[in-house]
Amino acid sequence: MRAYINDIAYRAEQGESILSFCNRILGKKSIPTLCDAPNLEAFGSCRICSVDVALEKGAKTKTMASCHSMVTEGMYIYPNSTNIRRLRKNIIELVLTDHPLDCLTCEVNGNCELQDVAALTGVREVRYPQGAHHLDRPKDLSHPYMTSDLSKCINCYRCVRACDEVQGQFVLSMAGRGFDTRIIKGMDQSFMESDCVSCGACAQACPTSAISDVFESKAVRTDTKVRTVCTYCGVGCNLEVSKTEDQINSIRAPYDATVNEGHTCLKGRYAFKFYDHPERLRDPMIKKNGQLEKVSWEEAYDYISSKLLHYKEKFGADSIAGISSSRCTNEENYLMQKFIRAVVGTNNIDGCARVCHSPTALGMQRTFGTGAATNSIEDIQHTNCILVIGANPTAAHPVTGARIKQFFMKSDNVSIVIDPRKTELAKYANFHLALRPGTNVAVLNMMLYYIIKEGLVAEEFVRNRTEGYEDFKKNILEIDINEMERISGVDRDLVREAAIAYASAPNAMSFHGLGVTEHSQGTFTVMQIADLALITGNIGRKGVGVNPLRGQNNVQGSADMGVQPHQGAGYLDVTDPEVIKKYENFYGVSLPRAIGYKIPEMFDAALEGKLKAIWIIGEDVVQTDPNTQKVIKALQHTDLVIVQELFMTETAKYADVLLPGASFLEKSGTFTNGERRVQRVNKVLEPIGNSKADGQIIIDIMNRMGYEQADYTPEGMLQEISQIVPFFAGIRWENLGVNGLQWPVDTQGKDTQILHSDTFKRGKGKFEFHPFEESNEIKLHAKDYPYILTTNRDLEHYNCGAMTRRTGNVLINTQDALWIHPDDAAQHGIGQNDWVCLESERGKVDVRALITRDIQPGVLSTTFHFPEIMVNNITSDEACSEALCPEYKVVAVRIRKSKGKHLAKV
Amino acid sequence: MSKNLSELSLRQGIIDGLFERISRTAVETGRADPKLLQQLADDFLIGSASTYGAASFYDFMKAENQGKKAYVCNGSACLCAGTQKAVHKALSRHFDSTQIGHMTCLGRCHENAAFHIDGKNYSGSDLTDIEKIIGQSQKNRDSYSVKANVELLTQEIGDLKSFYEPLIRLIDSKNLDKALEDIKSSGLRGRGGAGFPIGLKLQICRDVAADLKFIICNADEGDPGAYSDRYLLEERSHAVLQGMMIAGILVGASWGILYIRAEYPESVDQVQKAIEELQNLDLLGADIRGSGINFGFKIIKAQGAYICGEETALINSIEGQRPEVRTRPPYPTVEGLFNKPTVVNNVETLASLHYILKNGGESYRSLGTEKSSGTKLISLDSFFNVPGIVEVEMGTPLRTVIDEMGGGFRTAVKAMQIGGPLGGIVPVDKIDELTVDFESFARNGFLLGHASIVCIPEGFEMIKYLEHLFDFAQYESCGKCFPCRLGTKRGQELLEGAIVRGQKIDKQLFVDLLDTLEQGSLCAHGGGIPLPVKNALRYFSKELEPYFIHN
Repeated sequence: MRAYINDIAYRAEQGESILSFCNRILGKKSIPTLCDAPNLEAFGSCRICSVDVALEKGAKTKTMASCHSMVTEGMYIYPNSTNIRRLRKNIIELVLTDHPLDCLTCEVNGNCELQDVAALTGVREVRYPQGAHHLDRPKDLSHPYMTSDLSKCINCYRCVRACDEVQGQFVLSMAGRGFDTRIIKGMDQSFMESDCVSCGACAQACPTSAISDVFESKAVRTDTKVRTVCTYCGVGCNLEVSKTEDQINSIRAPYDATVNEGHTCLKGRYAFKFYDHPERLRDPMIKKNGQLEKVSWEEAYDYISSKLLHYKEKFGADSIAGISSSRCTNEENYLMQKFIRAVVGTNNIDGCARVCHSPTALGMQRTFGTGAATNSIEDIQHTNCILVIGANPTAAHPVTGARIKQFFMKSDNVSIVIDPRKTELAKYANFHLALRPGTNVAVLNMMLYYIIKEGLVAEEFVRNRTEGYEDFKKNILEIDINEMERISGVDRDLVREAAIAYASAPNAMSFHGLGVTEHSQGTFTVMQIADLALITGNIGRKGVGVNPLRGQNNVQGSADMGVQPHQGAGYLDVTDPEVIKKYENFYGVSLPRAIGYKIPEMFDAALEGKLKAIWIIGEDVVQTDPNTQKVIKALQHTDLVIVQELFMTETAKYADVLLPGASFLEKSGTFTNGERRVQRVNKVLEPIGNSKADGQIIIDIMNRMGYEQADYTPEGMLQEISQIVPFFAGIRWENLGVNGLQWPVDTQGKDTQILHSDTFKRGKGKFEFHPFEESNEIKLHAKDYPYILTTNRDLEHYNCGAMTRRTGNVLINTQDALWIHPDDAAQHGIGQNDWVCLESERGKVDVRALITRDIQPGVLSTTFHFPEIMVNNITSDEACSEALCPEYKVVAVRIRKSKGKHLAKV
Repeated sequence: MSKNLSELSLRQGIIDGLFERISRTAVETGRADPKLLQQLADDFLIGSASTYGAASFYDFMKAENQGKKAYVCNGSACLCAGTQKAVHKALSRHFDSTQIGHMTCLGRCHENAAFHIDGKNYSGSDLTDIEKIIGQSQKNRDSYSVKANVELLTQEIGDLKSFYEPLIRLIDSKNLDKALEDIKSSGLRGRGGAGFPIGLKLQICRDVAADLKFIICNADEGDPGAYSDRYLLEERSHAVLQGMMIAGILVGASWGILYIRAEYPESVDQVQKAIEELQNLDLLGADIRGSGINFGFKIIKAQGAYICGEETALINSIEGQRPEVRTRPPYPTVEGLFNKPTVVNNVETLASLHYILKNGGESYRSLGTEKSSGTKLISLDSFFNVPGIVEVEMGTPLRTVIDEMGGGFRTAVKAMQIGGPLGGIVPVDKIDELTVDFESFARNGFLLGHASIVCIPEGFEMIKYLEHLFDFAQYESCGKCFPCRLGTKRGQELLEGAIVRGQKIDKQLFVDLLDTLEQGSLCAHGGGIPLPVKNALRYFSKELEPYFIHN
């Protein structure tokens, strides 16, 4: 299609707006606008983007807003005619009749879109006599992060639209009409009183300082901007960090980020102030006479290396273990497992994936051959059905959660949630299967049953690309539906309808989280989710697949790098002689043959006296691993506990040596997000105090213990990794670009958005039937402990909370709370915010009650972000039978109203 | 507008939708109850800002409306008639000042002195009976002259069964192509003001595949001075309903929604009665006459916002969103109510369809002019010797309407505003140059619009009329687009300053303002207000000149 700009012909795209056509041809911002924004739909309120348009050359022109008028064949566009320039100037003059002219003292002076457009139009005076205005609107400074000064508002609605179209929260709207139309939060409340989730999308969208944040993220300073990747979850949002010298000023989300497209959540955008918190560990420390004392790095290194060499010699390498950190970079994780394997000489290396997504990696490997998300987040735009099971992404993966929520709100889409709680997404879903915690396998087998019964099996796909189906089918058809319905508590018709909806959708995706994995049947559940995809042929193309929502920012990467006792870098089997040979050649040393300890086995070994030393990086096992008292005992039984941390966590308190690591803002490397996207983490600041990049610490000790390893650089490390991890073959620091690459990346540097397009890593997809089995926790304890407690995460805090509790987030979410159904609360005389004592076979904790119908009777739910509560004092040793992932989601408890005595001393 | 809110609103259906439920939160006190708004927000999962923001838009729900018991009409016709001071005075004897509000045009322009008490409208001599009126439960229907030079819309309905013959034939024969062809060939153009060919609109909507479609009858006749739609709704309800069903069947819509303004309580009652009659004829519901066709009606009573007469604002209103104007494309025919294909048409347009189906497109086309076929209703205000509704064949000289049908002016009139507040101001010496059709008015720099006539008497200062227009425009602006939100306010302020404080208006600034509104506004509200003002500047320059300076 051809269209003309200033009488010159250009190629136009069908369905393109005049605005994007002109910007494409003439350059970005060639047409000024105040209400348009990169991530929002055209709105047409400011009219600044108006252009003159004629349908043929020389014909009479008509003025049209270019943002919502489409280019048509043969159109003549005059984007900057005399008439248009006059119109823009006159509109701006009107805007300035109700806008304070205090630019010099305004927060966004020099970075104000109104200022820019006003300058462009050449408006020099406001000719209107003083009239009614809104310059006296009060500021809203109620919130730890969000601020507003609506006297600066130009009513472009960008904030309202961002809250709706990006975050889907509907906190902002307009009230009144005409001249008095004004932005409101909730029912004309303050930010703090409203339901604002502090994502900051409004502040980023606002073209003036009308809505902003306490960090003045739009202010112009002598800033340097560094692009990096968020440390807070597996979504992997790109962040643009502004700093002045050694101070971080603020964070914004870049619009050109594939992962987050200009959006992020309050953790990514605002919860960065932990980085220079007074409590940051700034020096290495060694416990002397029962007290941790500051020492030099030299002393710490000498102490560690001599001790480790001593244990290795005296008790063998297997007396030493390492827990690496999924918050660290790929390079650092690679180094840690290399250190443990090649320098110490044991496979006793594990990471936090053990307690979160180990069943995902294992289950998907068993079904597909590859333990990673099959598709990309972007595929949400190409699917017709989303099944969310055991995940609460609007809290734990907010940016992906917001996208899924957008999907759920559209009536033509199929949305299914399987979760015991009425999560935010469950409220919007077409189908909410509110099962009893621990019965995923029962419900998924029912779904599989109905898909087969209703004749909705993708026969051709099953025939060509899978194996084991006939046995599987036979087993599935033999399940006792009555029994499964009774066990799960989910109406069979609802399961049937959901199954039909999933199987009938042209493209269906699933997302799952820890509500799948943290069960005694976690791995089997993952395999069933994979079976659902197989049986309906939802694999290997856009808009389908099995997509685990990885928890920590680099939990995918840590496993990829070999932070597992049974698989080395690149998932190669450490017991396979060929593999061992390959690694030995590469590392230049001889390697152990036996599979090492998984994390729970490390603690068992410690209690048995077999483990002498443990090095834990960035993982608060005391607060976050199950059965706290047992973990503490295990640490106390270990001679040498090395903890590498940012803060004095509950685990760090048990350290013999404490090493101050660096935060994500203080080092470079790569993180791999939940869609296998390897992205560059760029250092913003030097490590605080005497702290060091975690990778350098490991390297220093490697060298100290006689293994030569060059100093830490991401380039150098990636070069090494690419030679041993097959799917990193083409990854180089230099060619990752701003948006990274999704593995596998071939030697030519080509990456992969969708796995299993033609074939599975293991050849054929494998059906494997597993019947529902009641957890031991219920079998053994339900009689005495009739309630089921399930643990989860809140939006504002991240895991043990060591970082988020040292930011403004703690002013928004102040405590762990216990979700309890009103009927249960009434039965025990528990009122809102009363202390409730939760007692399990392991112990007691007290938590404040939050009475809500979002939880079913008989089920309770709480978080583990606050060490005062220490909910893991009551969680159990039960774990996934295959992957040893703890069963955090099913804890048999009894409850009573209490006085809050059972709090941990912090 | 928000696509998400459209979707979430649809989830709870059409029968008792978000807008009606928001409306009910204000029943107790006249002001939407925040607690109930919060509950609705929770039920619909849309956030309290959405329900609160929507309620605050409407005259009859916003905080200022709390405790109002009586309303004085402040429409253009009552203003020009000069009757409202007396109305206010009379009401003040029974209500304190906080209990008296205003409504803009109750459609009693034929006798003025209009007011509203307790859900009922009164006008003319009713004021003398005010004691009796308070507490009265009977609805109050007015009467006025109805004349026609061609009886098409004004034709008696007569026996219902035979009146619905065209619809029954359409349902039984299912010859939709033929019916659509007739409507196309009739040349019928939308009577709401824009004049878009309805046949084409129906065709576009019909061609969009969707499981759910809507026909909306835009009965939000907000133009001060216009009451011809009210006439049709109250006196010819079945013509409107039949037109909606015909249109609905042609595009595959199963719902007909009538959006009727709150200022017309009697219209709501009459249409409701007609729907029940239609129900009794077994012409509504599922599988009508075994045809497989489903159709149901839904009346939605508006809550006082002129902008809801704009079709996309009206759609937002029905959805329970703030009735702000949407951008186009997408047009409602493709993505309208609840993001589904929707045909929105004016009352008069829809009321013409039964004639076309009965008599064929050519028969309709033979009436009127080449480009403006058929007939047109005109509302005459109380300055005419015979005020009321007239139906004329398109192309009829305006002089005929005024002198022959309206009986001439009762007192000296210097100009008429024809076609509502956005219609042109026609000086009386232009009467002989105009015929009643779209083209004649456009050619002469006016607008046929909805063809209501409000007379501006000789003694009424034009500057005050312009201030009234701008005041109306700023009060009713939805506030979405910059030019209209700010420009109508500033225009009103400039004119008020000139009248009240003797501040002369910078002529260049005023011209810039009018051009900005005309070219820059998102919809016809801001875009239309400059037309009458420019007409006045042109034809009454001498009278207006002293208020301006040329810098």
